[in-house]
Amino acid sequence: MSSCHRCVAALGALVACLAATGARAGDPWSLLGGRLRLGAEVSGTIAPLDQGWFNYSDYELNTLRLFRLDLAAEARLASFASVLFEARTDNLRAPQVYALYLRLRPWADREIDLQAGLVPPVFGAFARRRYAYENPLPSLPLAYQYLTSLREDAVPARAEDLVALRGHGWQVRYPVGSPDPAPGLPLVSGERWDAGLELRVGREPLSLALAITQGTLCYPLVRDENGGKQVSGRLAWTPSPSLVAGISGASGEFLSREVDQVLPARAQGTYRQKALGLDVQWSAGYWIVRGEAVWSRWNLPALDATLIEDPLDALGVYGEVRRKLGPGLYAAGRAERLAFSGIESVLGRMAWDAPVTRVEAGAGWSPVRHLLLKASWQHNWRDGGRVRESDLVAGQAVLWY
Amino acid sequence: MSGPAFSLVSLAAPLVSLLLLLASALAPAQEARPPGATIRGRVEVRREPGRSEVRPAVAELGRHGSRDAPDRRRSVVYLETAPQAAFEAPAPGRAVLDQRNETFVPYVLAITVGSTVEFPNSDRVYHNVFSLSKAKRFDLGRYPRGESRSVRFDQPGVVRVFCEIHSHMSAFILVFAHRYFATTDAEGRFRVDGVPPGPYTLAVWNDGSVRDRREVRVGASGDVVEQDFVVE
Repeated sequence: MSSCHRCVAALGALVACLAATGARAGDPWSLLGGRLRLGAEVSGTIAPLDQGWFNYSDYELNTLRLFRLDLAAEARLASFASVLFEARTDNLRAPQVYALYLRLRPWADREIDLQAGLVPPVFGAFARRRYAYENPLPSLPLAYQYLTSLREDAVPARAEDLVALRGHGWQVRYPVGSPDPAPGLPLVSGERWDAGLELRVGREPLSLALAITQGTLCYPLVRDENGGKQVSGRLAWTPSPSLVAGISGASGEFLSREVDQVLPARAQGTYRQKALGLDVQWSAGYWIVRGEAVWSRWNLPALDATLIEDPLDALGVYGEVRRKLGPGLYAAGRAERLAFSGIESVLGRMAWDAPVTRVEAGAGWSPVRHLLLKASWQHNWRDGGRVRESDLVAGQAVLWY
Repeated sequence: MSGPAFSLVSLAAPLVSLLLLLASALAPAQEARPPGATIRGRVEVRREPGRSEVRPAVAELGRHGSRDAPDRRRSVVYLETAPQAAFEAPAPGRAVLDQRNETFVPYVLAITVGSTVEFPNSDRVYHNVFSLSKAKRFDLGRYPRGESRSVRFDQPGVVRVFCEIHSHMSAFILVFAHRYFATTDAEGRFRVDGVPPGPYTLAVWNDGSVRDRREVRVGASGDVVEQDFVVE
């Protein structure tokens, strides 16, 4: 038995223990007099083959064909300090550490928190509710999952290299940088968190969170690989329990040092991802309505003609609604659009990646509290790539404690 | 002279009546108890009550403020078996299960079938009370502070109540087909009145399950049966 299999088995056994004790008590697993608390989520999602790669978040990871074991822990070190940890395995691969950080609240009566380590993202809203039991539909919004044709370790030399890969974000190869094909980057990664330091200051109805991290929204990192840091922040406004609105921003260097080293001297410099986000949630009675817009801009080196002179912009927008139909039963829908700015090439002016539109409708049912069953239908349109349109039906089972 | 004396007497009579009325009003109230025997005693909960733990909040940007802890020591003592006549026409009532500082108060509520429970929200945040229990499935949706929703419970059984937004919030509602039950007070004392003569099974429920059962025989009206329990 390999160490990977042993890790997966250990994680599975822990989750099974949680399931057994949670089913009995209906509470999270608590040890050492409440100083250590564990929670878990097991989710399995099935769907037909996604031949248009609309739902891939990595080359081999389709978010609609995914079995995930997720274990979370919180250890309280003192009244003002705790360590938080989360590990997960996808499709029984080697477990990955998703979160590991220290949380400090220096003053008990003030809403000021410091978090350091592999921390939750401050930008936007969805990445912090990516868990299957919090997501009313099986899929992730395009802005947090869809792979564009940009990479952090390879760049196109000409505009033609870029537009040739419109709609091929699951496997991208460019002439400058890493020669191996690899998946592209999403606008914001919903599947990985960044390492760094963050501060949250709250005073109703406002809450401000700021972070300095190693990677960027599109490519979070544990170890810095380009010497640049990302600064990100979100200001949230909660005028009433029914409404939360947030505005976010981020700026960080995203190209790896490997690429910068192979660039000609005239092109060496700092290439950044900048992003702005707006998010809003309104809820009352049996309704939750959410909307989010993520605008991202990347700068790329201008190497050969036709030069990529202008920054590359992308805008992801979604609206989501959930309506409860009865105890344990709801219907949900999401409509979204991912659009890209235009670029000049010998082929004329066109969007630098193929715009995507998606609608998804589904329902969820909880026969018991800790089990959520979802089913959805999803339709995708793309203005480019080999597969332009796709209908997918997905089912998901989520067990959480 | 007789005139003034008469008038003093005539004034004193209503004054005395008023004083008697006041005295009777200020005197300790005598509870009107139904005819029958009384079962009373104390439930001592020695087991460490489970905590209402919050799931690890890994995705949060900071720590949550303090919350109240539910009183999990409260127990319900009830007759598990009773003569058929005892189940006739239980009087439906009204009860309140408050949502206060992210805690349901009280943690356990015992009611008769047909009773209506109010669920006011006393917090500044939304709550969403729901239950998926067989005895009663309901979902009250999200509502803010100062508002309340109510549910009528038409079937006997145990109803586990949760908040959809705050997963650490939970409470129990025990719905009885008869009126022979009591919830323990802060000292663990209970009292079930008006029990008809006969043999019964007396059960103690605490924090999610029946912890003890005991056969008791109740005599004629006016008898008092003492039963103490220890929940380990």
